[in-house]
Formats: sequence, structure tokens, C-alpha cells
Amino acid sequence: MNYNYKIFALLVLFGLGITAIQAQEDEEDYSKYDDFELEDDTPVKRYASPKISGMSPQKFIGVSFDAQMPYKYEFSKVTFPQSLDNGFDVDEENPTINETGRAKFTGGLRLNTNIPIISKSSFVWQSGINFMDTRYNIRENLNSPRSPLFLPDGTEARSLGRILNEDGLRNINWTNTFFFPMNETEFLVFQTQMDLSGNYGLDEFQSLSTIRYSAAAIYGRRVNDYFRWGVGVSRTYRVGNLNYVPVIMFDWTSENKKWGTEILFPARAYVRYKINQNSLLLAGFDLEGQSYRIDEYSVNGNSYEIRRGEVRPKLEFQTKISGYIWASVQAGLRYDWSYDADELDGDADFFRGFFGDQDFGMINNFENPFFFNVGINFVSP
Amino acid sequence: MKTKFFLIAFCLLGYFGFAQGAGDIVGVWEPGHGKAKVKIDKIDDKFYGKIVWLQEPIDTVTGEPKVDKNNPDESMQSAPLRGFRILKDFEYKGEGIWEEGTIYDPENGTSYSCIITMKDENTLDIRGYVGVKTFGRTDTWRRLIRKK
Repeated sequence: MNYNYKIFALLVLFGLGITAIQAQEDEEDYSKYDDFELEDDTPVKRYASPKISGMSPQKFIGVSFDAQMPYKYEFSKVTFPQSLDNGFDVDEENPTINETGRAKFTGGLRLNTNIPIISKSSFVWQSGINFMDTRYNIRENLNSPRSPLFLPDGTEARSLGRILNEDGLRNINWTNTFFFPMNETEFLVFQTQMDLSGNYGLDEFQSLSTIRYSAAAIYGRRVNDYFRWGVGVSRTYRVGNLNYVPVIMFDWTSENKKWGTEILFPARAYVRYKINQNSLLLAGFDLEGQSYRIDEYSVNGNSYEIRRGEVRPKLEFQTKISGYIWASVQAGLRYDWSYDADELDGDADFFRGFFGDQDFGMINNFENPFFFNVGINFVSP
Repeated sequence: MKTKFFLIAFCLLGYFGFAQGAGDIVGVWEPGHGKAKVKIDKIDDKFYGKIVWLQEPIDTVTGEPKVDKNNPDESMQSAPLRGFRILKDFEYKGEGIWEEGTIYDPENGTSYSCIITMKDENTLDIRGYVGVKTFGRTDTWRRLIRKK
């Protein structure tokens, strides 16, 4: 009995002790910390943070599967204006259709990485390798192609529909992003990208001389924790062929963090709605594209490239699965911006822009199907 | 006898040297953004840091003192941010490094693994990360003292 009393007394004392410490913490006079100043007299340089409050989680590693619903296609005849030196003979307004059919499936696996190499207040460098596999399941119409395809040397080649069906398209991308805060408000962002795109297999890469280079530079201001904007320029292949376009950044979050925007126009623009702490909705669009070399048509040292560009208006739902693992589900429309083709003189690209009058080697058209994309990501919330 | 004396003295020096190094982190610190002050204390054998000052202590939406409204634990969402422990469970590993702890970001209600490195007596490098140290960001904190 005596022993039990001792234990009880100890427990009471211990409990009182904890309560006393807690009370001491709660009753701490925090006003005294108003008078604290830096021990070191060295002036402190403060830097703009690389993000604003409430933005969607940053994806470090992501795996996703992308699929487009079935759609009809029309490909013009394939011409070789550089090889044959006979000028462009594709009528862009009324191209001679040589191949028609239905793509029953378009899509494949996408791997994305964005690894912080250096990440500190004064400088951030992130680097990532990305892989996008696009497989096609194509059913050509009975009379397609209407006439067989012959290369400039007279040998017969596969139709584009058959090449897509058998080989698919692949893109390997290396992106480096550098964030330089100049002070607490102003910052610069530089991004460089290298893309190897074509119908190559992973066991047989195409020549590295066909790597296409993109870059962007942005000057921005972080107005406060909830808003930043930026303007810049970029050299891009997002509409398929080489282009130089202005860039606008506009990231904003409402004070209650329910609404926001994540805009890096023209690459992407979203309105964000936070459903709760662990899930959010994005509504907007992505602009995707690259210049894909078709190896079989690349003859006489020239490079025959499909200028694939697509706009994807979409809804995206992101939700936390566990810890730093988040899932994403996208659904929307795949709108065909371009699937035309150029035969490049050697491997050298040229600038057509939105207003250039250079004719294409092929004029191709797609219907615009729905697409969906499901993915899993390792993120920093 | 002399050898034993030196050996004991050496061990004691080593012990006190270690203890002194571990406690160097105790004090008041300012994160890189300068919008808060964090007091780091030693409790038992571990180190903890709590917010003791906020540049903007009042929530502009509610007009009340800021609370930890983004905390995933609903019962903690009304806890005042001032006094909130954002550094937890750090252990001194020697050579000016504290590990095994977490840092909490009240902005998004997320706790990150964290390593603290003392660059000099008035500067800390605080690296919060997810999973492995590669996936993280380093912030520099400066020591504060009471105005003389």
C-alpha cells in the first residue's frame, strides 16, 4: 500500500512538472524578442523565394501513362523538296491526300524528373531527364496509301501511317532550369532544353546531330508571398517547328489559398482550385510539341521531320496518396496544331515562325480526340 | 599515474568539448526570409526550435493572431503560430551537424526531414528535404542577440 502511494505521489509530481513546463512555455513573454537583432553586423542579403504560397506540389519524379481516344487522320503525299531540288509541290490549302485511316490508339509511357542539383536561397539549379514514348495503333483505310511512296533514289518506302504503327515516336529531353534571385523581389529564370525526337528505337539512337535546342529567359518580380509575374523570350519547338515567342509568367494565389493561377504562357496556363490540404484541381491548357525525325525519309544527308504540335485544354486532379507521393489524373482535348513535315537541308533547322511562307513537305490533318493521362509523382508539397 | 591523469583529463576535455559544440545551436535565429525569429532550446538530449516572433503576427483575413491553419491535424489548426515548434528532435552528431530531426513549414502544413549544419558560430545552414537529401532546399539562418 505504502509502495502504491509512493508511485502515485511520483506520478502526480511528474505530471505537475510537465504542466509547469508547459505553463512556463505558454506564459513566455514573446515581446522580449522584439529587441533581438543580428549578432553579426554583416548586411544580410535576402532573396526572392523560387515559389509562392499555395502552388501545386513540385514534381521531382513522375511516371504517367498518356492515351488519346481514336481519331481519323489524313496525310498528304510525301515530297522531298531539298533532295530533288524541285521546290515544294504540296498545295497547303488543298493537299493531295495520299493516306487516310484511323488511329485507334495514340499514347504511351512518360517519365519525368526534375532533380535539385543546387538548391539554396541565393541560387537554384534543377536538372531533369524526360522520356516520352508515343505508340500508335493505326488501321489504314483499304485504299491507303493511294499511290506507293518512292524515295528520291527510286526505292520504295513505308507509308507514314505504317511507320507510326510499327515504330511509334520517341522523345528524350534534358532540361536544366536556373533560378537567380537578385534581391528580395526580382529574379531571373533561365531554362535550356535538348531534345532528341524521332522514330528511333531505344537500342538504336538517331544521330546526336539531330538534337534540337530550346531556351528561355525570364525576368520576374515576386510581389509578395501570393503573387509573382515575369516576362521573357523563348526559342521553342512547342508548336512543332522552331519558333521565337514571348513568355509571360503569372502565378497568383488568393489570400484564403482556395484559388490561384499557374501561368507560363504559351507553354501552359492553369487556374488552380484547392479542394483541401491534400488535393487540388487545375483547369487550363498545355502546349506540347517537338520536331520528330523520320529516319526512313531522311535521305541524301537531309533530315525529314514531322512538326508535331498540340494544344491540350484539360482538367487535372492531383491528390496525395501517402507522404510525398501524389497521383494526378488529366482529361481533356488533344487539339492538333501541326503534324506537317519539313525536309531540312542537312540537319540545320530554319525559322518559319507564325508568318513565314516556306511551304511544308507534307500537310497532315488529324481529328481532335479526347485524351487522358494518369500518373504518380514524388513531390515536394 | 601521470599517464592515467592525462588520459582522464583528455577524456574530460573531449567530453566538455563535445557538450559545448552541441549547445552552440541554442539561441535565437532568423531564417533567410527574415519574417520570423526561431528560438532553439535543448530539452533532454535533443534540440527543438519554436517561433517566438513574427513580422506579421496578425492574420489579415481573420484579424486574429496567426494560427497553424494549414496543419493536417485538425486539432492543431487553432494553435498559435507564435510559440509553435517547427524544429523537432535534433540530435548532435559532432562536427557542427545536427540530424534526425524535422522542420515544419506552416505555409503548407508539411514536415520535412532536416539536417542543420553550423557554418560558423552565427550562421546555420538548414536543409529540409523529402526522402533523401538530394530532394531539398537549404536556407541560411543568422544568430540574433538581445540589443545592448
